[in-house]
Amino acid sequence: MSADAPLTRRWMPWVLMTLVVAAAVAVRVADLDARPMHADEANQAVKLGALLETGEYRFDPQDHHGPTLYYFALVPAWLSGERSLAALTETAVRATPVIFGIAGVILLAAVAEPLGRRTALMAAALMALSPAAVYYSRYFIQETLLVTFGLAAWSCVVRTCHTRRATWALAAGAFVGLMQASKASAPVFVMAALAAWLIVRRRDSPAAGNKEVNANRLLPLVAWGIAGFAAMFVCFYSSFFTHFEGLKDAFGTYAVMTTRVAGQGGAHDKAWWYYADLFWWHRRAGVLWDQTLFLGLALGGSVASLALRDRFARGIALYFVFIAVVLSATPYKTPWIVVHLIPPMAILAAWLLARIADHRVAKIPAVLVFLLCLGLLGRQMRLGVFQYASSERNPLAYVHSSPDVKKVPALAERAPPGPVKVISEEYWPLPWYLRERSEVGYWATIPDDCDASLLFVSADYAEEVKGRLKGRYRQGYLGLRPGFVLVTLMAEP
Amino acid sequence: MLTRLVLTTLTVGALTAVVHAQDKVPLALDLPKPLFVGTPRPISLPNLEKPRTGPRPALMVPSGTTLISKGKPVTSSDTFPVIGELNYVTDGEKSGADGTFVELGPGVQWVQIDLGSVSTIEAILVWHYHSQARVYYDVVVQVSDDPEFKKGVTTLFNNDDDDSSKLGKGKDLAYIETNEGRLIDGKGTKGRYVRLSSAGNTTDELNHYVEVEVFGKQ
Repeated sequence: MSADAPLTRRWMPWVLMTLVVAAAVAVRVADLDARPMHADEANQAVKLGALLETGEYRFDPQDHHGPTLYYFALVPAWLSGERSLAALTETAVRATPVIFGIAGVILLAAVAEPLGRRTALMAAALMALSPAAVYYSRYFIQETLLVTFGLAAWSCVVRTCHTRRATWALAAGAFVGLMQASKASAPVFVMAALAAWLIVRRRDSPAAGNKEVNANRLLPLVAWGIAGFAAMFVCFYSSFFTHFEGLKDAFGTYAVMTTRVAGQGGAHDKAWWYYADLFWWHRRAGVLWDQTLFLGLALGGSVASLALRDRFARGIALYFVFIAVVLSATPYKTPWIVVHLIPPMAILAAWLLARIADHRVAKIPAVLVFLLCLGLLGRQMRLGVFQYASSERNPLAYVHSSPDVKKVPALAERAPPGPVKVISEEYWPLPWYLRERSEVGYWATIPDDCDASLLFVSADYAEEVKGRLKGRYRQGYLGLRPGFVLVTLMAEP
Repeated sequence: MLTRLVLTTLTVGALTAVVHAQDKVPLALDLPKPLFVGTPRPISLPNLEKPRTGPRPALMVPSGTTLISKGKPVTSSDTFPVIGELNYVTDGEKSGADGTFVELGPGVQWVQIDLGSVSTIEAILVWHYHSQARVYYDVVVQVSDDPEFKKGVTTLFNNDDDDSSKLGKGKDLAYIETNEGRLIDGKGTKGRYVRLSSAGNTTDELNHYVEVEVFGKQ
């Protein structure tokens, strides 16, 4: 934009971007502690508590993703004065994905900037209100961090190509390293982006890339990128030079991951159309879920990128198609993976509308379609994030804990002094809700001595446990998650 | 001399007790820590297992007792159910599949069946939701001639042990829903209206009814 453009025209994009970021912040921080902790969130929060209390962290290649989540989550905990597991709160724990979720919206605008400011703004707005992006920005798992590091890496790579500066290459490598230190699935997204970039470059004439790096200057930049990657990878997986075994485990996790994602008939295996279905119009127990317009615009943008021969948009479309195919073809599926599709979909949908709006007669209809899409996303986000946050009918709430688990701290407080025993095949997120009690034990099989001040027993074990009790107990029920009921037994004086 | 001996003995005893008390330390219990496991598996199979072994004991009722609630009008504290229609409660469909239950809002909610005339109630069989293991909280079943349930109320079942529903404290036990429903003895109570109340369940904060059957004579 020229310097002599009217002041309002120069400032308007910034005003609108501020509004988008404000909306992104508002929907990500509101009632952050209202949803009960999911088993995975609780599990990771308890690990965070151990890191907070002891300063120790060991990467677990079996059942956990990378270290970044725990280390970054230390910052909000320290800032809020929470120094132990018992002192940790849901708000402080979830603050980390919230911050990365907001940063992701800003970075998406930066990534989409080459397609025009209108596209960048609209894409950021779509991601700001996307139900999946909002839901998992409030969820203490690695997915949002991985998406945001990916956007940051992409942005740095583009700047490296344009400026040829080693600092951007170093930063790009560092962000790819942070992706790898967040989740072992990071190479899928890096490879998809690289493949899209190579295809787009090959199909264009050499003259088109006259401002970009040539082969002679590529190697030093790649070397800087590798240095940035290695620095982050080593720092996080070695637990900041205290546990070098973690570096070996970072590779060992692929054996576990391969078995899990390629396994047939696994507990989390789903049909290939599972991710598409999350956007498609459907009802779940009476509640309507519909992001079909958003999906349609993204697919339309993909097709248009080929027809209109826009190199950057085509690269985004190829990236979108690659990851959609890979993720859909992988039997192991969980709904939080869908957040990886949101950034390319938001850019493609926004870019299509911006191109349509280029035609004078289509400007108003394009704006109306954008507002309709935004409104529909906002409505779905309200249902998924606030109204049905932990409900079975919410496709984003996967094997979620029942609201009942929030009664556990009050139960523990009412119980007489003494040990609390949890005897159940499954018990997460109870360790989070019992974190303030000092004597709590967990058994997956029934121990000989069952007596305690308070017991949580699975319904299947209840009769046998009750038969072994010597004291008098008051019985109640507690829902762990849909279909899994615990019997509570509180000792009576 | 005797006094001195007694005092000495008491002093030594007290000192010994103090020394022993000081020796005591809290017993350190080594309890198993929680195991860190992966994402829990979704439960997809409906829980139709009967928790009790053997058949349900028969409830003895006078001969001539019949189902008197089928198709009878149903009202509710939630006039706009989240899912389903109130007439599902007495439509005879009790499979429990989607489309066969009515869902009422969160908190304390009730449904009320109008039997049409004062009847002798021998039994009530209720299915809240049985395609998944659940426990409904504060289940209260009452009978009255008063549609407002302000007078002449007889309570047939009440497991609200802390009176949080403000319908009186009950001594009945909570139970896990199964496909065989919960059979409640009507004890020959006379009344025209049957009201069933609950306050959420172990899965969510909502209230559900697949079917309610009232047996008796009109």
